[in-house]
Amino acid sequence: MSEAKENKKPLYRFVRTPFARSTGASLISILIGILCGFLIMLICASFANADPGEGFALLLAGPFSSKRYAASQFGTMLFYTGPLILTGLSVAVAYKTGLFNIGAPGQFLMGTLGSLLVALSINTTGNRGLGILVWLLAILVGIVLGILWALIPGALKAFFGINEVITCIMTNWIAANIVTWVFSARPDLMNTGAGKTGYLIQPSVTGNYTPTLGLDRLFHSGTYNSYLDMGLILAVLLAVLMWFILNKTTLGYSMKACGYNKEAARYAGMKHRFYIMVAMGIAGGLAALAGSLYYLNPNIELQWQSVYQELPSYGFDGIPAAFLANCNPIGVIFAALFIRYLSASGTFLQKAGYNKYFADLIIAVIVYLSGFARFFRERIERTQGIRDKLGVSYFGYIGWKCKRFGAKFQGCFSSKKQKEETTVTKPSDSQSEEGGKK
Amino acid sequence: MEQEDIVIEMSHITKDFPGIRANDDVTLQLRRGEIHALLGENGAGKSTLMSILFGMYQPDSGTIYKDGEPVTILSPNDATDLGIGMVHQHFKLVECFSLLDNIILGAEDSRLGFVTKKKGREKVNALMDRYGLHVDLDKKVSDVSVGIQQRTEILKMLYRDNEILIFDEPTAVLTPQEIEDLMQTMRSLAKEGKSILFISHKLNEIMEVADRCTVLRKGKCIGTVATKDTNIEELAEMMVGRNVSFTVAKEEAKPGKTILDVKDLVMRDHHTKKNTINHVSFDVREGEIVALAGIDGNGQNELVQGIAGLMPIESGSVIINGVNVTRRSIHERIKLGMSYIPEDRHKHGLVLDFNLEEDFVLQTAKDKQFAKHGIIKKKDRRDYANELIEGYDVRSGQGSVTIARSMSGGNQQKAIVARELDRPHCLLIACQPTRGLDVGAIEDIHKKIIHDRDKGTAVFLVSFELDEIMNLADRIYVIHGGELVGELDPKKTNIKEIGLYMAGAKRDDRKGNQQ
Repeated sequence: MSEAKENKKPLYRFVRTPFARSTGASLISILIGILCGFLIMLICASFANADPGEGFALLLAGPFSSKRYAASQFGTMLFYTGPLILTGLSVAVAYKTGLFNIGAPGQFLMGTLGSLLVALSINTTGNRGLGILVWLLAILVGIVLGILWALIPGALKAFFGINEVITCIMTNWIAANIVTWVFSARPDLMNTGAGKTGYLIQPSVTGNYTPTLGLDRLFHSGTYNSYLDMGLILAVLLAVLMWFILNKTTLGYSMKACGYNKEAARYAGMKHRFYIMVAMGIAGGLAALAGSLYYLNPNIELQWQSVYQELPSYGFDGIPAAFLANCNPIGVIFAALFIRYLSASGTFLQKAGYNKYFADLIIAVIVYLSGFARFFRERIERTQGIRDKLGVSYFGYIGWKCKRFGAKFQGCFSSKKQKEETTVTKPSDSQSEEGGKK
Repeated sequence: MEQEDIVIEMSHITKDFPGIRANDDVTLQLRRGEIHALLGENGAGKSTLMSILFGMYQPDSGTIYKDGEPVTILSPNDATDLGIGMVHQHFKLVECFSLLDNIILGAEDSRLGFVTKKKGREKVNALMDRYGLHVDLDKKVSDVSVGIQQRTEILKMLYRDNEILIFDEPTAVLTPQEIEDLMQTMRSLAKEGKSILFISHKLNEIMEVADRCTVLRKGKCIGTVATKDTNIEELAEMMVGRNVSFTVAKEEAKPGKTILDVKDLVMRDHHTKKNTINHVSFDVREGEIVALAGIDGNGQNELVQGIAGLMPIESGSVIINGVNVTRRSIHERIKLGMSYIPEDRHKHGLVLDFNLEEDFVLQTAKDKQFAKHGIIKKKDRRDYANELIEGYDVRSGQGSVTIARSMSGGNQQKAIVARELDRPHCLLIACQPTRGLDVGAIEDIHKKIIHDRDKGTAVFLVSFELDEIMNLADRIYVIHGGELVGELDPKKTNIKEIGLYMAGAKRDDRKGNQQ
């Protein structure tokens, strides 16, 4: 019971470490986010003929919502995670250098454009070895295009000080129009089968698709394979690489110095313009690779005709993935996985009477609340501090808090003298566990 | 009878932070109507103790008594309820609000949800008359001087009927005239029965205004003395723990070849189209300290940033160690042996979100010593950081992994000085190297700069403190309105004469203009 005894408990010490506090704060954010989502589901259920209980269960089950296709759904969810990790990294790396890369959708599209032009123009069907070479070439062309595209806002920022957010948004739409324009001039790449319009052929038709390494069959439901390919492995490796660059190399050190304090970096003789360009280049390359890997999957086909009307959500989803992970490259892997897990329920939500975009809505709430993680961390610290001082259990703390609140409330209606008396809480020497009983 | 009238007693306060005991069994008694100074070195625990009193931190042990009654202060709101007010070093004012709005903010009267300012204005006017603290209530914060902003902060406390007023290093940002006014205000507040806690490390101010003084050293309470029973030397010794000499012994300079040569330098402000630096020429040779004296804002910052490469040069040349660097990058200047203690430690000197070992290698991160093939040698970097922490007495909570932002201002400055002096260099540009430091640390840094000179470094010192200049310089230049108006020998001149040059009342036409 005494404080000294409590001090020795490992749990007591563990919950007071910075790691436990910040993880706890993140978990609280996620929990409250999910609860808020459920609340929204409840409210919406009264408008539509929906079942909130089933909807919530489906949402939490994610890819396992459908028992029959759970394995393949899970694999496909992992496939979707790969590009999201990459766009998340794109945003995170730029942010560490003090740049807000909202241009990931445009870079994503330029990667898509470069890769698909190469992969769909050369036919290597029947020769898998050559197909993989062309696939590599396609990836490289996509990355180079993405880097060059990102260097436009990068150079404008570095040499003319123009805010990268504005130029990124403009280059996004330019990229979207370029993609539609280029493919409209290539009728030879259209998929005209089964009455489809506006679609390109799948990379599997020309044989230049991402190697699956058997991962698609690893997660299968009956004869139905998942979409999973080696893109996820590449993305995870790149996350580790980015973590290494940011934390272990002089390049990362200089980039962070420029991001945290540009003036100090300049003072120390660092070429801050160069590092802005490097950071945007890396960000552009990562986002472009996301586009390449997504559309070079054997099963995905690009709806090119509407690209100019709507930017790819992958580019923007990178922002929550990065910030949920506090821009830590390793954290981005898990943040992306979490986001994809929740959105995997997507279409299944219709079973419960909800729109398939409902999952996105709940993700938005959680991401919004992740901004409060710091607030929760400080609350945890404060609560623990007060509890240590009063030497009470958690319930004792709540009791003390209620009492205090009541006293304040009363104070509003009574004279000033009384108010002073009530807010002065006696310290612990003569008090019971409940605290301040007098 | 007055002896026993204790308003606040902080009894046996102890507070631990990770790796450091900020307050160790500190006891402080504040009497009604007295001005009580809290003196201590940078990082001695003054601010922590006041933060505890103001409810921002919780003590690990110890009790606070108000009028003899034990109290628990868990937040600044509790402190305000107890009548404790604080003027922070960096003011907490809303820039775009009027002074009146700032004063009543948070304690405003309202009717049906609308703010009614009439009663507030009457009360503030009465307070201004009573304490002689006059401000124009309708001006915006952004339009008034720092001194007026501070008055607004004081009025804010008075408006809330606070009895205990805490001033956190209030004079650091003020001009000498404003300091005089503040002292006057503090005396009249005390006369009216307010109790004042005054945090400072400026000894002469404490001697002038305080009744009693409590000295902290490394978190421990050294003692409380009445200022009329003591003197500056004794206070300094209590604070630092050893004898402090206010002048540093140094030998005759033995100047060698010219290291820094500035010829006919012109710099221009591109907004006002005026020359901020007007045809300035001077040189600094190895083994000597050349000081630049002048009133703040006469072009010192521009001159130094022009030499260091942070600001563009209009015409003229800067030659470091025989190489014309006028159009060269900052990186090249550093490689030629330039070390530079910047005037603004937060803007230029440190990356505040880096930890100490990262900040120590800001210029040298890519050197062979700290990196191989672009990969950081973490252990070498850490060893180097520990060496500097040891050698320059940089105090921090978690050693080499302390985030710079969490350190006290004085220790941040020490870290910069350590980095710049330890790096191989032939030229040291020191801008206000001891700003915000206590006497002990000032003495240390002065010794280190003189030691550096004796090793053959050319030192260019910019300072607004004439004492510092007289103490260190081998030659003195005076700047006024962007021009050098005099070159003086510290042995043949005195502070008064320099003052005349600084004010522009006297000038030496031989210098400053191109011969």
